[in-house]
Amino acid sequence: MDYGYINARMRGMKSRLLSHRELDDLIQKPDLESLIADLENSPYRDEVIEARGHLLGILCIEYALRENFTRTFRKIQNFAKQEEAEQYIIIFLHRWDVQNIKTILRGKNIHVTSDEILSCLVPAGEMDEATLKELLKQPDLRAVIDLLATWRIRYAQPLTGAYPEYLKTKDLAVLECALDRYYYTDALDSVRAPGYNNGLIRDFLRLEIDVVNLKTVLRMVRDRVDAEDAKRYLIGGGRQFDERKLGELLTLPSIEDVVKALSSTPYRFLADIPEPALRTQKISIIEKELERFLIKKGVGAFLLDPLSVASVIGYFWAKYNEITNIRIISRCKTADVSPDLLKEELVYV
Amino acid sequence: MVGWEVPIGAAIAFAGGAIGTGWAQSRIGAAGAGAIAERPETAGTIIILEAIPETLVILGFVVAAMILLMVE
Repeated sequence: MDYGYINARMRGMKSRLLSHRELDDLIQKPDLESLIADLENSPYRDEVIEARGHLLGILCIEYALRENFTRTFRKIQNFAKQEEAEQYIIIFLHRWDVQNIKTILRGKNIHVTSDEILSCLVPAGEMDEATLKELLKQPDLRAVIDLLATWRIRYAQPLTGAYPEYLKTKDLAVLECALDRYYYTDALDSVRAPGYNNGLIRDFLRLEIDVVNLKTVLRMVRDRVDAEDAKRYLIGGGRQFDERKLGELLTLPSIEDVVKALSSTPYRFLADIPEPALRTQKISIIEKELERFLIKKGVGAFLLDPLSVASVIGYFWAKYNEITNIRIISRCKTADVSPDLLKEELVYV
Repeated sequence: MVGWEVPIGAAIAFAGGAIGTGWAQSRIGAAGAGAIAERPETAGTIIILEAIPETLVILGFVVAAMILLMVE
């Protein structure tokens, strides 16, 4: 198992990620066209040139970012083949399968056109673009799930199981939660064996589960959902919060109380959010902070043992963050958001 | 009269250096290949880094030669 090679490549790839200054330069661009022109002189060059041939504006950037993301992860998967690091790559890539299925289900649920849904998909996982396009051709949710089951794609199992409940409640969260739970349970099962690398991956997955659960708790408290009902949407296996602790949080009357209750946990940074923002019951600010926390923890993996899967974990998060940042910049450029406000939205690592 | 232990000692000194060099170069080589794959401009530095462990085997050779030449 030669992590020296993987580590060197990961660090080489990390050195090509956009720096703080380069991101600031992108923020200062007056419009989308100059942003695209700037991206043509960045590591996104090939994808931007390819996209420019048939797309314009924001669609061009979205396409280029998606292609770059997919190609980057395929490349890593190719050189880490049969190494222990591949395990994490597969787990990370499966996340995009789950994300894509969720996007398709959401789109079908509100009858969005296939082209629009397709533009939101990231075919970085095991399901390639052709598979996703075939899923998009299906007329409704039931047909999408049936096709997944016909192809024996693993995610058909949780969806089929949760579908009767969805029919009763008509709440898409039921299907999404079933998918998330299956994903995390499956991922944790695949790294159950002892060992430093498995432990590291397990730790990160458990941290993510905590963040997902916290987001769910916040939404449930905001919407005043009954604690017993809300428990059905939680995922087991978190690092910091077990079912009992999450149950206690769910019984709290407001978001402010939840944030206060987190003061003795690693999530005490949420208390720094100004109180007026909490009082408006808008959880997007808290979700953003949680996302920032997760990204910083993920990228922080670069500081762990270099001869382990840590550098792969670090790079994945760093790349994910870069793509997210560029997407935010491009979206804000179309909406004419001021550079100062834009800077606040980005996560610098 | 030189006994059998002198050439054996020299062989151990040389072999130790050679094995150390081999191990170090394999690790540096793997990491260097990764670095060159991503940043070809680092090739010059990597070649120098790859050559540094050679000093170990040279040291082993010198010690072996000294054993053979100086022990009587």
